[in-house]
Amino acid sequence: MRTPLAITAYGLCCGLGRTTDEVIAELSAGRRGLRDAPFAVPFPALTGTVPGDLPRLGAEHASRDSRSARLTALAYPSVSAEVDRCRARWGSERVAMVMGTSTGGIDRTETAHAAWWAAGAANAPLPADYDYALQHPFHAFTDLLAELSGIAGPRYVVSTACSSSAKVFASARRLIELGVADAVLVGGVDGLCHTTVRGFHSLGVMADEPCRPFGRDRPGMNVGEGAAFLLVERAGEPRAWLRGVGESSDAYHMSSPEPSGRGAAAAMRAALEEAGVQPSQIDYVNAHGTGTQHNDAAESAAIGTLLGPDVPVVSTKAYTGHTLGACGAVEAIFCVVALERGFVPAALGSHPVDEGIDLFLPEVRTERPLRFALSNAFAFGGNNCSVLLEKAS
Amino acid sequence: MSAPISKVHVIAHAVWAPGYPDAQSFFAREEDVSLVEPPLAFVNSRLQRAISLMCRMAVQVVGDAIDAAGIAPSECATVFGSSHGEMQIAVDQMVMMQEGEGRLSPARFKNSVHNTAAGLFSIAAGNRGFTTAIAAGADTFPLSLLEGAALVASGEESHAVVAIADEPLPDPVSQFGEQRALAVAVVLSSDPSGSRGRITLPARSTEADLEAIFDYGDHPAASALRLLVALDRGHRGPVALTREWGVVIS
Repeated sequence: MRTPLAITAYGLCCGLGRTTDEVIAELSAGRRGLRDAPFAVPFPALTGTVPGDLPRLGAEHASRDSRSARLTALAYPSVSAEVDRCRARWGSERVAMVMGTSTGGIDRTETAHAAWWAAGAANAPLPADYDYALQHPFHAFTDLLAELSGIAGPRYVVSTACSSSAKVFASARRLIELGVADAVLVGGVDGLCHTTVRGFHSLGVMADEPCRPFGRDRPGMNVGEGAAFLLVERAGEPRAWLRGVGESSDAYHMSSPEPSGRGAAAAMRAALEEAGVQPSQIDYVNAHGTGTQHNDAAESAAIGTLLGPDVPVVSTKAYTGHTLGACGAVEAIFCVVALERGFVPAALGSHPVDEGIDLFLPEVRTERPLRFALSNAFAFGGNNCSVLLEKAS
Repeated sequence: MSAPISKVHVIAHAVWAPGYPDAQSFFAREEDVSLVEPPLAFVNSRLQRAISLMCRMAVQVVGDAIDAAGIAPSECATVFGSSHGEMQIAVDQMVMMQEGEGRLSPARFKNSVHNTAAGLFSIAAGNRGFTTAIAAGADTFPLSLLEGAALVASGEESHAVVAIADEPLPDPVSQFGEQRALAVAVVLSSDPSGSRGRITLPARSTEADLEAIFDYGDHPAASALRLLVALDRGHRGPVALTREWGVVIS
């Protein structure tokens, strides 16, 4: 059994709200955070867009502008005091940063490319305020976060599509266990962009109505966005414990899950084994639950096989849309909130349930004491990750 | 900063660049101009459809390095680093947005993620174990090496192959990056047999001026070449891989 690590702080923004308190209030109330996309696309699109305009970066960071950078700056203040405490305790060099994203600041290049194309391409100039190196790459928002936070230890991005910010927990745990760092700021950031909204539409899996994970005749997924950060420490006052992380590959298909859920089950099983926790001890599963036919069928097979039909299963993507590279961190926070406050959110949209799915999908929010919660994240490339969290006693 | 990971050995490596199908030809500068992309002989043609040169190179060097180490491709953990990732596909998709109805190609989209090479290798090799994809700008290789070394040092894996691959940036962003393709992979092991050097990391870089390997300058994968050159020379002591990070070889 691996030593539990303390999750000492968390904060986020997503379609449910601009602050952590707003997000939790909406989740608790069972309301969706789905609305129009922040840009026009040539088909109907309903997305988990952060409400309101995203504030511009301050003048000292303005050259790093992108939608992901703005989401980063919006969410970071929710954990900044705890990060400052952490740096004072361990030293800035002993605090690392591992973040997940799938697209970084690609929206800036989309805009610049469109302007360049409209100007005739070839030797046309790019917009004067565009800087690929500062705005687009995966690490651009982590550089911004380093400037905002003063974190000076190793920092890097895990980018395995939709499992990115679940896998960061495994990276953080290794860095702490091996003595590379004493604390790690983990998280995920992905802003809405044409590439993902049009891309998922091209795959035929985009819903133009609210998604209904595990539901009968479910229409597909809603793309979302968000920025979510958690502080993992060697020791500290826990909001919850990080108990296990399981990682696996389907070795099956680039964009479809292995139908039996073999890889998903392997990741969940590995997370439980690391913690010495039995399947019967799991109180809540925050499913990956994209709302697509294939994902939900494979995941429900995996959950049913490993955990049985009685554990409450909820896909919070019905609330937020699929926040892609941010979903692992967003949904880990939802698990921490559920453990802290003792409730299972309503499985929005899941009823009536698909006849082929034998899971307990609670129709209404349920107050109950929870000890162990499992958060699933599965991705293109058959990349699977499951994170096991325990209530802080 | 202390360097707590100290029992990891480099046991094999591979290099691929246009004109240079392996490390020997690359370092001897024996160019074959007919080689424009890796053969990927162990990947079926269906899987090779609509993938980038960067992805091809990454999968090729991982396969070659694992082969050189004599371990089973289905069993080895893999860490795929790339500074820029699938930028060619990203820009191809931006062109599609401007043409016709602005719809993207599903075949291109599913291969547009940073872990395309990771997924493709796992499928081709039947590898159901650990794989990941890392990015950290200029520091992508040393921090991918940290991720791989941590897997081995933690005892989670006996071996891990760590790769870095980057291709030329396409127009209109070509002015922002290196214009050549290069991929390098190293195999890490907890077992000293066959070790070409034991590495200790993370270590802050102490060199203001990095060693230039041929004319690859600031190519993100040049950092991996610096490690290979140091190992080949039998160097012992610190090696600066980037301006920020290095390793200590013992």
